[in-house]
Amino acid sequence: MRIFQKTNFNFIKHRKVAYAISLVLLVSGMVSLFVRGLNYGIDFKGGSEVVIRFDKPVDVHVLRTIVKDAGVNGSVKQYGLGNTVLLSTDAHGETASLKSLINRALGDRLPGNHGEVVSIQAVGPSIASDMKWSAMKALGAALVGILLYVGFRFEYKFAAAGVIAIFHDVLTVLGLFSLLGGLFDFMPLEVDQSIIAAFLTIAGYSITDTVVVYDRIRERLRGQKTSEYERIFNESMNQTLSRTIITSGTTMISVIVLFIFAGPAIRGFAFAMFTGILVGTYSSIFVAAPIVFDWQKRSKNAIKLRGA
Amino acid sequence: MKNNRFKLLLIVVVTLVSVWSIWPTYRDYELSKKLASFHSSADSLKFAIDNRAEIEHAREKSLKLGLDLRGGMHLVMEVDLFDLIEQKAWNKDARFQQIMASVRNTAANSGENPVELLAAEFKKQNIPLSRYFYDIRNTDQEIVDKLNKESQDALVRAKEIIRNRIDQYGVAEPVILTQGSRRLVIELSGVTDEVRVRKLLKGTAKLEFKLVKEPEALLRAIESVNVMMTEVPAAPAAADSVASAPAAASADSSASTPVASRPFGKKLSEVIGVMKNGMVFTPEYAHDYVASVLSREDVRARLPQDTELLLAAKPEVTEKGEKFYPIYLVKKTPELTGGVITEAKATFGAQDSQPEVTMSMNEEGTSKWARITGANIGRQIAIVLDGAVYSAPVVQSRIPNGNSVINGISGLEEAKDLEIILKAGALPAPVRILEERTVGPSLGSDYIHAGLLSLVWGFTAVAIFMIIYYNKAGLAADIALVLNILIVISVLAGFSASLSLPGIAGIVLTMGMAVDANVLIYERIREELGEGKSLRMAIDAGYDRAFSSILDSHVTTLAAAFLLYVYGVGPVQGFAVTLMIGTGASLFTAIIVTRVIFGLLVGKGFMNEKSFG
Repeated sequence: MRIFQKTNFNFIKHRKVAYAISLVLLVSGMVSLFVRGLNYGIDFKGGSEVVIRFDKPVDVHVLRTIVKDAGVNGSVKQYGLGNTVLLSTDAHGETASLKSLINRALGDRLPGNHGEVVSIQAVGPSIASDMKWSAMKALGAALVGILLYVGFRFEYKFAAAGVIAIFHDVLTVLGLFSLLGGLFDFMPLEVDQSIIAAFLTIAGYSITDTVVVYDRIRERLRGQKTSEYERIFNESMNQTLSRTIITSGTTMISVIVLFIFAGPAIRGFAFAMFTGILVGTYSSIFVAAPIVFDWQKRSKNAIKLRGA
Repeated sequence: MKNNRFKLLLIVVVTLVSVWSIWPTYRDYELSKKLASFHSSADSLKFAIDNRAEIEHAREKSLKLGLDLRGGMHLVMEVDLFDLIEQKAWNKDARFQQIMASVRNTAANSGENPVELLAAEFKKQNIPLSRYFYDIRNTDQEIVDKLNKESQDALVRAKEIIRNRIDQYGVAEPVILTQGSRRLVIELSGVTDEVRVRKLLKGTAKLEFKLVKEPEALLRAIESVNVMMTEVPAAPAAADSVASAPAAASADSSASTPVASRPFGKKLSEVIGVMKNGMVFTPEYAHDYVASVLSREDVRARLPQDTELLLAAKPEVTEKGEKFYPIYLVKKTPELTGGVITEAKATFGAQDSQPEVTMSMNEEGTSKWARITGANIGRQIAIVLDGAVYSAPVVQSRIPNGNSVINGISGLEEAKDLEIILKAGALPAPVRILEERTVGPSLGSDYIHAGLLSLVWGFTAVAIFMIIYYNKAGLAADIALVLNILIVISVLAGFSASLSLPGIAGIVLTMGMAVDANVLIYERIREELGEGKSLRMAIDAGYDRAFSSILDSHVTTLAAAFLLYVYGVGPVQGFAVTLMIGTGASLFTAIIVTRVIFGLLVGKGFMNEKSFG
């Protein structure tokens, strides 16, 4: 079977449209980051999360009042595994007392529907700020590391454009998390450790498709006149279009499976990966290569090639 | 062809090693199933005894499941090194207290080494450390080195003591690691009674024997605190310490006292009663408030020299069922501390058959104890554990044999836990729980189910896609994929790493990424075939030319996963590990394995130009 065989899209000609789309995505994401901020999970802001399992389905609204009456400040959501709900609070003190408080309140108010605390996670503020730091360090180190590696493997214009594409991908996903955070009950899109894992994986993966396109462009640029560059860029991108999309496609299959089957704890991660791969594929065609083209056009010199 | 034979051999060896490494996991599963299938427990016991060696071996070598999958507790505890530093200081004036308070504040939001922070603060204020620590002739650097050494020792000691306590409590395969300069990470699987475990881990187990002051002194002390509280509005500070965790605080006291009606800022005399015999007590509902007042520095400073007010560990119950906590005024400097205890045992008392813990002391302790009891006949000596008075018996006679008893314990379970922590020894400094993640076994089995479903569906979907899109070549990629998963699981089992839900997510993601290499190669081969090359030449060219992109993408993914492993904590590390193994293995499976398969198939004429779809 073959899809995208012998395509002939003029990517370079329409690159300005793509730039505009990317800019809108990025700017709206950034604005949302400043206005709405991010919906941090307990890993990064501290607090407690309690998963309660009931014998029978339970009304979240009723539960909300019960919890509030018991003196616990927090939100109650469906957890999405059987009859389970997730209670999040800012309290990071003794989990034992929180648990007994919940048990007592549930026993009094919902006698017919036994609720059991099946999981408690509590993170203190000092650990939370440590984790935030570690996450930033990891992201920073990843970007620098990838820049160095790509810079070592490719000509610097290619490398810089590739890293711009990575930033583009990670920031777009971050912006989406800010825009959509808390909108869906089945996926709260909280930024926690697993989302950082997703960002790092996206950063590592984003370069994959870019490299595939770069490799072909580089291979065909050898000994060509600068006037031929536009044709070569376009042809290279069309020739690699199939593999760019299929490689993303197989990973996408995995991510969708995770989103559907792996349960609520993984859903935020799967969503981040899904959008990350989508944006990453788009950016390797519409951002990375066109930036190299524009940059080269401005500098007027032929691209000096090195590496394999 | 010779090269090919070597590769074939390599593949066979890798496969065999993988299967060998996974075999115990399979046997463990089979044996557990068999054990569960017996109808009577006698049968299963007999089977377990007959096959004990094999069952134990299989269990030991099998793939371990993470805490989130089998249920358990993950704790991060912090050893309060500031407390330790304070213990080491021989001069604790107001200036010192103020500096300590400010450094504590800074440290709350950073993982920096407390000793360095302290040294920096002293330097900023231009005070030599030797004014407070060790010898006046020491330079700052010498003192910092000494304090650092003490802190390191304290962390190691705390780790040992906590391991001791856990071992005696009986948790299978506990994991206890140090993290940074003052943290311990503890993983306990299959713990059912978290409340008890938490108490067991947190107790400093600082045992002290303190002389109780006469009742008149106690009344005078309470009165002076009362006077002081009318002078200073006490409410804000006292309320603050409790209100920081509203949910938890309201749970601490009994259900009948909702948050709003708690007597914040009340004078001590309003929540304290005095009995005719001079005993001072507070009702149960006011216990936490009184405790918070008594622990305030300004209150402590008001008390007579070298004395302190302590609450009882357990309430006295009246005939009506009301509960009251006695309050004691004791000499601050202990007569004797828990370091002299050599043996502790939980038993029932001879007279009232209440649970108690009997202790015996070493030689030094025995002679001291004999002297102390001999000199204080007719007076009360309080037995204080972690700042709470367990009992305050009147000394009847000199005790020559170094025996003592803790009573005032609410149950046998508590007595047993006391025995454990007394035997394991006191922690060098108090510990705090910073992070706690508990997953019950029922949620764990849900996660296992979810993980298995995603593994099965992930593999099926990717495998079917590859066959549809690439025909026979897709099948070869699928075979390589199976080997890849086999390698990941076998490496995890072989290195006794555990598989968590994020780890499973890493495997599923790896499946999608591992075939990427094949996609790149196959697309290239199709292109070469399209240019009219022969099958063999196209395959060779495809592998050669796709290699550079494959290497680049693998290196970047590996780098990202590695950083995630270094900077991530707990669950995320599990994901990073499987991603790293999977990506690394796919360099072998997707490139070498598929190529050998093609070599064999083309040689036998099973493949043609159409086999790449």
